[in-house]
Amino acid sequence: MPRILQLFLAALVAAALAAMITLLLGSFAPAHGDVASVTAAGLRIRSARVDRPGQLRLRFSGPLVNTEPANFRLTDARAPDIALVVRAVRAAADGRVVLETVRPLRATETYRLVITDPPLTRTVRPSRWSLLFAVLISSALINNFVFTRYLGLCIFFGITRRRDAAVGMGVTFTLVMVTTGTLSWLLYRYVLQPLQLSFLQILVFIGVVAFLVQMLDTVLKKTHAGLHKKFGIYLMLITTNCIILAVPLLNAAAGAGALESFALALGSGLGFALALFLMSCARERVELARVPASFEGLPIAFALAGLFALAFMGFSGLDFFR
Amino acid sequence: MNANRREILRIAATMTMVCALAGALLGGAFVATHRYREVSGRRAEQRAILGLLQLDSSATVLEVRQYLSPARSEVVYRAGPYGEPPAHEVVFSLDGRRVAAGEATIPRDAHAERGLVPLGRIFVATRSGAAAGFVIEGESRGYKNRIRFFVGLSPAFEIAGVRVLEHEEDPGLGAEIATPVFQGQFLGRAAAGLASLAVTRDPMPEDWRAALATVAGTPVARWRERHAALLARERTRPIYAVTGATISSRALTDGVRETVDHFQRRWALLGPYLGGRS
Amino acid sequence: MNAALHPGPAPRARDLILNGIFGENPVFRLALSLCPAVAVTTTVMNGVLLGVAVLAVQVLSSVTVTLTRRWIHPRVRIPIYTIIIAVWVSIIDMLLAAFTPALYAQVRLYVKLIVAFAIIISRLEVFASRQPLTPSFFDGLGMGLGFLLALVVIGAMRELLGNGSLAGIPLAPGKPLLFFALPAGGFFSIALLMALFNRIERAVADSSRRSTSGAHHA
Repeated sequence: MPRILQLFLAALVAAALAAMITLLLGSFAPAHGDVASVTAAGLRIRSARVDRPGQLRLRFSGPLVNTEPANFRLTDARAPDIALVVRAVRAAADGRVVLETVRPLRATETYRLVITDPPLTRTVRPSRWSLLFAVLISSALINNFVFTRYLGLCIFFGITRRRDAAVGMGVTFTLVMVTTGTLSWLLYRYVLQPLQLSFLQILVFIGVVAFLVQMLDTVLKKTHAGLHKKFGIYLMLITTNCIILAVPLLNAAAGAGALESFALALGSGLGFALALFLMSCARERVELARVPASFEGLPIAFALAGLFALAFMGFSGLDFFR
Repeated sequence: MNANRREILRIAATMTMVCALAGALLGGAFVATHRYREVSGRRAEQRAILGLLQLDSSATVLEVRQYLSPARSEVVYRAGPYGEPPAHEVVFSLDGRRVAAGEATIPRDAHAERGLVPLGRIFVATRSGAAAGFVIEGESRGYKNRIRFFVGLSPAFEIAGVRVLEHEEDPGLGAEIATPVFQGQFLGRAAAGLASLAVTRDPMPEDWRAALATVAGTPVARWRERHAALLARERTRPIYAVTGATISSRALTDGVRETVDHFQRRWALLGPYLGGRS
Repeated sequence: MNAALHPGPAPRARDLILNGIFGENPVFRLALSLCPAVAVTTTVMNGVLLGVAVLAVQVLSSVTVTLTRRWIHPRVRIPIYTIIIAVWVSIIDMLLAAFTPALYAQVRLYVKLIVAFAIIISRLEVFASRQPLTPSFFDGLGMGLGFLLALVVIGAMRELLGNGSLAGIPLAPGKPLLFFALPAGGFFSIALLMALFNRIERAVADSSRRSTSGAHHA
């Protein structure tokens, strides 16, 4: 019996992974109407990326002759009828060209470049790794669930008295957040939104969480009793927890794509795990300290969290990653 | 075993019924509130448009919806009296050539139309036949989430006002961008000069803050007369950021700059086709 | 079946309400549902909005559970409670979005997250599923009021110190202590208020112990 369940679990995980990978790749398929960017002379654009605000770096397969700014038409994908002003073009003999724009460009946005002579087009997309990284940093540090969005505080103050418990909780939460986040995103994007049923989102998301947690619990109990003994109690705490539910709600509100919602779930989970770990370390030391009687227990823990929140405010300066 | 199975079936039946009931209840509540939300939203929007341009309800407002059609690489403008289905349509290619113009036969709920991406709306106000100004809908990415706002422009393309409609910035910090003091800083700036408009972290001078604090309470013309000297001084200075919320301040300023820039360039194409109708 | 667990007369309405506000205050005493207590309390009005939403959800869910508990199968009672709460939260969410759009935009996420409040479901499980209609109603009312009051107190403290105003009415020029409007300030405000709550409680306990022991000696 356990063998069958194990197989079932493996198949399930594989299917989920396959679905996720397909989606991630699908979200990077070339946009509609993307012309193959090779000219008759064989010149083509090898790479194009925003490497600094206000600077687009291009690599051609050979030297480019016409380097007048008027030869380049760069637009934001969200407003393709408005040409961005190209201030200067610097070209090197090996085919490297740098376009300087008046307004800053963002590495996390999509741009479209049309060259008149020779006729070439190119869509400049953020690389999937830089987008993933940006969303991860943003959700784990800049918008940390505990310290700047104030979510999951009940668990946060309840569990951080012991360090090993905090670590176990962090791991469990991250896993559950990623799975429920992905599944909820699929449901929202492909069922609720097309049917205009987004007003059911609260009900559906909480159903997804309850279903997945229950399934994980049952499967874990049958297959890995030891693991279940260790993490089972956390699983039960998860069902009605706000940070698990916040991930799909935030994704739905922002209209996030597949990659963004996956990265948000992962980043938020890691950020929560980090917060739990930091706090449990600090609280272990406070246990030994002399605290004014009225502040013993929760009040001093809140003050500690306040200090962490103050430190995390420093991350909001990482403007580039937002 | 049999009894157990029957019980499980009963539980499943109960759960299905409860879920169905819950769905029906929510559907009913949605229908009931959705209609109210639309009507009251429209009313508030109209108030905001007329308020920004200092007009009363005798003015007429033309609503221009802008869409992008990525599949055909076109920009579609649809115009009609405010709150009514659009009656007139003009289509341009991405590089500004007119593709089509004429009467539009458009479904009432044009937003739901597939393949069209909304690019925001423009409201063109006229009073007794003369142009009375424009209000442009804009969006920007704030500290937490998007900021939705209106920018009012006078017929001479001078900012007549900025109003934040929706935001999720932190109260007491980023939320201050929605106050008259912050929004008033844009008042009277020429659209042509916005390109070089910057945001500074310097503290706002006290006399300027005191003047801006009264901007909501007095008619704009009289306010501008009273503070002419201050206005002349501040017109050449950058926008003062809200203390502790530089990102939110910059987000709104960048959004206003971009919105006005896009409007000016689109209106240069579109204006001649709508001029006679507005 | 459940009524047997709580024999004796039903608790009185006044005691139930006072219990929610002081004895078992959800925020200061039970330390439950803390997230919104920090998140939305930068101004009094936001606190009031969320507090009223929680109050409504708590009372409505308590009443629903009391009225329908006869048909709720005990084995699936928790999922059904969750569905009941989710329905009421969704309805309140839609109502707030329709009638107070400007205020709602700032607390949108947290209104939706009321569905995950431990306090609401624990009151359903502990109280509403075992008591008749009237006490359940007053228990829900008391808990909701306790929560609302806590949010208003924290909100008032933070808005006054951080923004120099109260419910949007400016009382002091500028921003006296901007720190309290920041995320970190929220944590510190609750730390201070909780410590104050503890201090008062100990003072009360001390004085009552002194008076009882004094009576004993006499």
